[in-house]
Amino acid sequence: MLLLFVGEGRLLPSGAIREERRGMRGLVRGIQALVLMMVLIATPLLGCAQSSTPDTYRIGVIGSQTGPYSALGLPAIDGGRLVAEQINDAGGIHGREIELIFYDDKGSSTETALAAQRAIDVDKVLAVACVSATGLSHSMIAVVNDNEIPGLIMSGTGLVDDKLGHWAFKPTSSEKDYIPLPLRYLRDDLSLSTCAGLIENSGYGEGGEYFLRQIAGDHGIDMVMFQYFDPGATDLTPQLANINASDAESIFIWGSGPAGALAVKQSREMGITLPIVTTPAQGSPSYVQSFGRYYEMEPSLVCLDSKLTMWEQLPSDDPDREMCREFHQSFKARYGRFPDMWEAIGAQFVMFIADGIERADPDLADAIVARGQLRDAFETTTDLSLFMGTHTMTPDDHYGRVVHKEVLVTFKDGKKVLVKTMED
Amino acid sequence: MEFSTVLQSLLSGLTLGCIYAALGLGLYVVYGVTRVLNLAQGEFVMLGGMITVSLSAFGVPLFPAILLAVAIVSLTGAILYRFIIFPARHASGSTLAFLTVGFAFAVKGLTLLVWGWEYRTLTSFLGSPSIHLWGATIFGQAPWVVGMTILMVAGLYYFFGRTMLGRALRACADEPLGAKTIGISPARMGLLAFVIAAALGAVAGATITPLTMTAYNVGIPLTIKGLLAAFVGGMHRAEGVILGGLLLGLTEALSAGLMPSGYHDAIALSILLVVFLARPRGLLPAHANIED
Repeated sequence: MLLLFVGEGRLLPSGAIREERRGMRGLVRGIQALVLMMVLIATPLLGCAQSSTPDTYRIGVIGSQTGPYSALGLPAIDGGRLVAEQINDAGGIHGREIELIFYDDKGSSTETALAAQRAIDVDKVLAVACVSATGLSHSMIAVVNDNEIPGLIMSGTGLVDDKLGHWAFKPTSSEKDYIPLPLRYLRDDLSLSTCAGLIENSGYGEGGEYFLRQIAGDHGIDMVMFQYFDPGATDLTPQLANINASDAESIFIWGSGPAGALAVKQSREMGITLPIVTTPAQGSPSYVQSFGRYYEMEPSLVCLDSKLTMWEQLPSDDPDREMCREFHQSFKARYGRFPDMWEAIGAQFVMFIADGIERADPDLADAIVARGQLRDAFETTTDLSLFMGTHTMTPDDHYGRVVHKEVLVTFKDGKKVLVKTMED
Repeated sequence: MEFSTVLQSLLSGLTLGCIYAALGLGLYVVYGVTRVLNLAQGEFVMLGGMITVSLSAFGVPLFPAILLAVAIVSLTGAILYRFIIFPARHASGSTLAFLTVGFAFAVKGLTLLVWGWEYRTLTSFLGSPSIHLWGATIFGQAPWVVGMTILMVAGLYYFFGRTMLGRALRACADEPLGAKTIGISPARMGLLAFVIAAALGAVAGATITPLTMTAYNVGIPLTIKGLLAAFVGGMHRAEGVILGGLLLGLTEALSAGLMPSGYHDAIALSILLVVFLARPRGLLPAHANIED
């Protein structure tokens, strides 16, 4: 039999060589088919890609376009994009447009940090913002401080408020400041004194548990037990059975993904009639659409939310009503749907950046100087009214003083109904 | 520890176990016939759920909607085999597995474009109510999930053991060259295996959606659970996959109910890791044939 040397000194019969070549050709054809399929799918997305021009304020926006937190990231991206378009349509800032460059964190802390680094090194952005889940956004703090670039993080936990460093800012809400609202509701409106925490295993959940343990007692609520669930959990009945067997008079579901919404459904299907309060994610429209009838079962779910989604039910003299109405209607005109809390968060990140750029008028000829100018401007943000709060920052406090605008809502006849505001 | 909590954990584990077993069975069929680890199996499950939800929303009655979903997803399975796996059939097993990962990402991207990112669900089949038993609850959909898994296993045993087509598939799995000699086309049998796996995935997707919800991004986590079930139980035998699925589900549910800490998933996976290290070929290692 004819033997030939091939590759790394292997001896193969000529028939085997033909077989191997045939295999390689087949493999190439398989890969070609796969690449063709992916290109066809990606083509519409590529059409949305931002073009780069040197005369714009380039901002990197990192969010979950895929992965377990995409129900938060994608709406936030839409909200931010709308505000940027509005600013640009009105002539931009100092004659320049804001250019948002979007990156997908894929629900991973590593991907978030890598995306931030790519925005800084490759796309040379002026600032970077992370509109993703709390735990993911924390991975960006070190990146922006190491690279000396202003960075906004969407962290829902107060555990990092004093760890933001010189370059990271947090123009959003910490749970330590809005937890009192649902606790006051349980104590004052329902006359309850005990509660069980059902906590997501995540950075957001960790902060929630920490501050519930710290603060609940001050507001007359005894947290009698904590149970935990994975963000991707599909069955929470064991944890709910534990809560049902405890002395808890109410349940506080703390989560940012679909499992928290499933917990509401499963608790009602189990016949648990304890009042449930939840963090904002459970009020996401897709969950309300899926589980609305469970949300409305008595006692109906009470959920933290923003003034934006409830603007029609705010008193006519509420100072935020007009701002919320305008954004609500613009968003509907642009996307054909109404905005929710995550759209508001994305929008307010861009508003915060725009305010900083307006005051800093950064010198784009020198990126290092421009980034420093913008950082300094962020530190002097004063009484900036955004959708989730009115923010004032100082050089020593990059979370700052926040006048909160969270509200509590419940669900009736397929709609959200305002229950309580921070002012009540 | 309350009795009701233990019972609830056991019921939850049984239901989860059946879900994982159903996921693993799709992997088992493809692997058994073609020796390809199809890492796109979870996408078949996701597509089955999404299509059924959408058709139901358009007013198609539930069971016709499931049948249509099965047909569409089976076609997707055929496309995966004919245009991606078959041309590369002489490549190594790991290369073929990577190709299925690529296909999974393509399906996921396409689903995002078509359906968006929202989570979707279905009501329990035929409005089945929850059953309350000694302080625990059996969700209305849970018996459907258990029944689906039993039917899948029974159907596979009948198909591979009693039908000519099933025997031809087994012949291809056992002795491809010999099967070819007597006129059985390995290419057609490979195609059939992928179509069967896709159909099983679609049925599983439609059946579990009322319990778990579905969205464009649930496929890969589902594949991982199915793989765990198959690896722990033994990839070469259907009963191994069932055993692995039940073990995985029960471990998860019992650790969540009886060990209330933030580490219950880590505890569950550690237990499975120990099992896997002790029996690296699975709890039930291979016999000669797919149906043994």
